[in-house]
Amino acid sequence: MWLPAALPVVVLVGYPLLVAPTRAVLVIGVAAMVLCALGIAVHSTPVVVAGGVLALGEYALALWLSTGPPRLTGAVLFGIGLLLLLETTDFARRLRHAAIGPGVVASQVRYWVVFVTLAGTAAFVLIGIATVASLIARPPWAPAFAAAGAAVALVAVAIALRRARG
Amino acid sequence: MTTRLTPLALSVVTLAAWGLVLGVFSGRPELVVAVAPLLLGLLRRARANPVRDWRISHSLSVDRAVEGERVVVTVTVNAEQPVPLLELFEPLPPSLRVVAGSNRGVFTLVRGQEVQWRYEVECGRRGRVSLGTVRARLWDRAGLYAGETSLHAPGQLRVYPRPIPLRRLPRPRRTQASVGNYVSSSVGEGLEPGDIREFVPGDRIRHVNWRASLRFRRLFVTQYHQERNADVILMLDTLVEVGAPPETTLDASIQAAASLAGAYLARKDRVGLIEYGGPFRWVRPGSGRAQYERLLEALLRADVVFSYVRANVALVPRRVLPAQALVIAISPLLDAHFEKAVVDLAARGFDLVILSPSPIPLVQRSTRSSPSVDLACRLWALERRARAAALHRLGLTILEWDPREPLEATLAGFTRSRHRSVAG
Repeated sequence: MWLPAALPVVVLVGYPLLVAPTRAVLVIGVAAMVLCALGIAVHSTPVVVAGGVLALGEYALALWLSTGPPRLTGAVLFGIGLLLLLETTDFARRLRHAAIGPGVVASQVRYWVVFVTLAGTAAFVLIGIATVASLIARPPWAPAFAAAGAAVALVAVAIALRRARG
Repeated sequence: MTTRLTPLALSVVTLAAWGLVLGVFSGRPELVVAVAPLLLGLLRRARANPVRDWRISHSLSVDRAVEGERVVVTVTVNAEQPVPLLELFEPLPPSLRVVAGSNRGVFTLVRGQEVQWRYEVECGRRGRVSLGTVRARLWDRAGLYAGETSLHAPGQLRVYPRPIPLRRLPRPRRTQASVGNYVSSSVGEGLEPGDIREFVPGDRIRHVNWRASLRFRRLFVTQYHQERNADVILMLDTLVEVGAPPETTLDASIQAAASLAGAYLARKDRVGLIEYGGPFRWVRPGSGRAQYERLLEALLRADVVFSYVRANVALVPRRVLPAQALVIAISPLLDAHFEKAVVDLAARGFDLVILSPSPIPLVQRSTRSSPSVDLACRLWALERRARAAALHRLGLTILEWDPREPLEATLAGFTRSRHRSVAG
């Protein structure tokens, strides 16, 4: 079960190097890869999360060092890779030392394929809507709006999760 | 069903928050876009709710086993609705060890599907084992949310002590009136030819010894030795045990008791059991297969149990012991109460043999070896030898048995020495 988890690691570490192939990005990328590999090997989700945090840092540094227009397609793929890394690692951990029924892995892989397709499509639709909205209206204090929007998104997710739990 | 968010959900939220923070501070929209799939994943979870639409049934290949035997546990899962990911876990008591398969299973079921999950356990120690409590965890596909419940499908397994085949047994000094395997010195009905005497009216024709009759020209008949059985009482010391399970002195004593019971019952003797401990219990002497089952059942529940009565238990009641019974006391001789009881039995004229499984090798096995431990064990061995000698002076016979060695070897030496003194 390590292969499905290893593929997203390659994407997460490799893509920022394509954006900005510098020594600093490489160093953080290697550290992220080591942590992710360790987490996959010992079936530890927290270690993989630490690797994911470093990978996001690597991506942020690469974006900060690079110039040019936003590369949103790559960003969507990076996000999907990050989510898949977490889910595959956790799935492998749950299946460890367990008797696996017929069709468990196949149905999970089918689910991930469907999810990647849907999430990618939804992300591109949202990007399209945001691009159109930014062309129509250019509000002042855009960074403040972005920060507030991010906070609202997190709070909305937290409320939705809490409601589902109750 | 108790539902909860899993640690994975917290991990996703952490990464999403970290991505948003980096996005805001770096001013790059890509990081916010990269976080979008994570948030979508969390929202996808928020709309689902796990529902229990499945049933399980639990079965064992056998409901009775002996120590060391293997039992196949089968759990059948039926789904009435599609089940994305169901994790089942059956906790096992320490006396059972999984040898094939796993006691944790993960399944995906479609509507109406039935899945069977099997694993094999090895019974390590005697006792009644309750199986059938299955912990179920229903995961969503992403693993962000789980519902937990516990299901009870009754299943009880009885693990009996493994009897060791014994060929040589302590012979009883006295026999009973019923027919058995012991050749008595008194003549009567039997198979073993004894003396020849002259025919008297009333003798049966088939007992006429024709060879002697022709020789002496008078009728002679052959007399036969009677074949008797004996009453054997196994007195088990459950006052104290030492050693680490499943190799305690009580485990060794119970295995010896089961072996002796089986061997004596095979010789048509009547066997009874006294559990001398906190709960003072006994099984009246009897013979046959049913009696063996009764004895095994009693041995199954034999354990060292603390009791306030224990301090007052000193002597075995008269009605528990049949007259002229052979009493085999099985004890590590660690408690003075038991010694007092066996001395009392010997004083009351019972034919008494003490089989003492030595606690020293069992303690050595469960303790890390060191010079001080070795010295303590040697001193302990000397103390036990002195105590055995003291009991021997009182007329008691003690068989010191190292549980690592076969019981047959210990009994063999004893039967040879007692064989000469057996009277019919």
